[in-house]
Amino acid sequence: MTAKRRACGWLITSLGLGAGAATWEIAGRSVGAAFVAPLSETLVRLAGLARSGELWHALASSLALFAAGFALSVAVGVSFGLLLARARLLRVALESYIAILNATPMAALIPFILSLMGFDFAPKVLVVFLFAVFPILYNTVEGARSIRSELIEVARSFRSTERALWRDVLLPFVLPFALTGIRQAIGRALVGMIAAEFFLSASGLGMMLQSAAQSFDIATIFAAILLVTLLGVALMELGGAIERRCAAWRNLAK
Amino acid sequence: MTSESRPLTLAPGWGAALLTSTAAAKLGAGALLLGIWETGVRAWAPAYVARPTGVIAVLPSVLGSGAFLSAAAATLGSVIEGLGIALLLGIAMGIAMGRSFVVDRLLRYYVFGLFAMPMVAILPLITLWFGYTDGARLATTVFAAFFSIVLNAADGARAVPLEYLEVGRCFRARRLRVLVDIVLPASMPYLLAGIRLAAARALIGAVVAEFFISVNGLGFFILFNSRSFRHNQAIVAVLVLAGGGVGFEALVNWVTRRYFPWYRRDEKPR
Repeated sequence: MTAKRRACGWLITSLGLGAGAATWEIAGRSVGAAFVAPLSETLVRLAGLARSGELWHALASSLALFAAGFALSVAVGVSFGLLLARARLLRVALESYIAILNATPMAALIPFILSLMGFDFAPKVLVVFLFAVFPILYNTVEGARSIRSELIEVARSFRSTERALWRDVLLPFVLPFALTGIRQAIGRALVGMIAAEFFLSASGLGMMLQSAAQSFDIATIFAAILLVTLLGVALMELGGAIERRCAAWRNLAK
Repeated sequence: MTSESRPLTLAPGWGAALLTSTAAAKLGAGALLLGIWETGVRAWAPAYVARPTGVIAVLPSVLGSGAFLSAAAATLGSVIEGLGIALLLGIAMGIAMGRSFVVDRLLRYYVFGLFAMPMVAILPLITLWFGYTDGARLATTVFAAFFSIVLNAADGARAVPLEYLEVGRCFRARRLRVLVDIVLPASMPYLLAGIRLAAARALIGAVVAEFFISVNGLGFFILFNSRSFRHNQAIVAVLVLAGGGVGFEALVNWVTRRYFPWYRRDEKPR
């Protein structure tokens, strides 16, 4: 892309963002304070929440939940997926069930988790885990399925140790698929995070949204949504960057 | 489906044996998982907790009840309706973004931002705008599905081979015809991958919306029954939701294999 075209692109983008901001502001002022908070008011509220510390408190609480659930699902999803890459019988036996669970909306299990585990931190972590683990597992198994058996046979012919087989064949082959799953799981885990904070014990950004909605505090609702959106964009960009960086050989593996 | 990594040096007759052993492994694993569930619940959990035999026992009465059927129709109907709306608008917007530099630069941050935003977060806002109604649930499913369709349609429209467009131009095809007859079919595989993800998101959106706004549907059915300690009944609704998710995915996979056999699944669904 030429420099001129790129500059033109940035100009259009900033015009678009400016127009969006203006529309938001005008809509907020004309539709009525009960429906839309203008951009300016939203930003002022966001700054106010940041100054009072409420925002950082909610953010930290939500991020702790996200991190715990997501780390757990990456650990379980990737290691179990790798195991299935090696143990063919186990993979064949379980892959249909993994696909079914991946297509099942895990949100449906929240009421059961609530009634069995109550209002602790652990059930919320379980919700995030259930939302995130199946995309990871599903994609990792997809990678495991497409490992060419020649690769393993060659490694065996050279009397590769089990350890070397995992390190040099299985892990590099399956990792790009796992990373695709991890990237998809970020979005699901965020949904799980907010859902858990809504429907299990209220905490973090979910609680901030919930209580703002109950008091019809529209500016705080918009501020919290803006914050959640920025969080989502940052995490997804991070996931995409890691995937691009670590999965560069993916297309060569085919 | 990617190719099975199975050695090709088997003697004739082995294929069938392998196939039956595969089915046996699947069924065996399923039976084992159900067995673990059943014994685990019997041994450690209170009596109201769902277990396979309990679910089977209540299955006919739940599936026969009008309340359950209307709940299933409401949820699945709103998912299909939401997907339909998201599909129509999303394809138009995605293709515009994929083919027009200006549109792409104008909208890319909005689309990606709203795609990255967990749709659950706007439920409080949706209830303020739409009230505690069916409309709120529909809005949630549309919102959940729309942006992944736009992103994938745009990726697909961007990936249309240049030769196709040049041929179109050589034949002096009109712009609309190029879009409908070249760009749309060529971006279909990406679009189908997007629809698969969109359907999953719409289903989650519908269930969570029903929890939040307590409108008749499978999510509310689950909430209501699990609160009154009828977990077996509630699990039936989970099974129907799972069936919906799996059925839709199977449909999309079938369409992909049947009509776009050249497409590799791992190309880049978002």
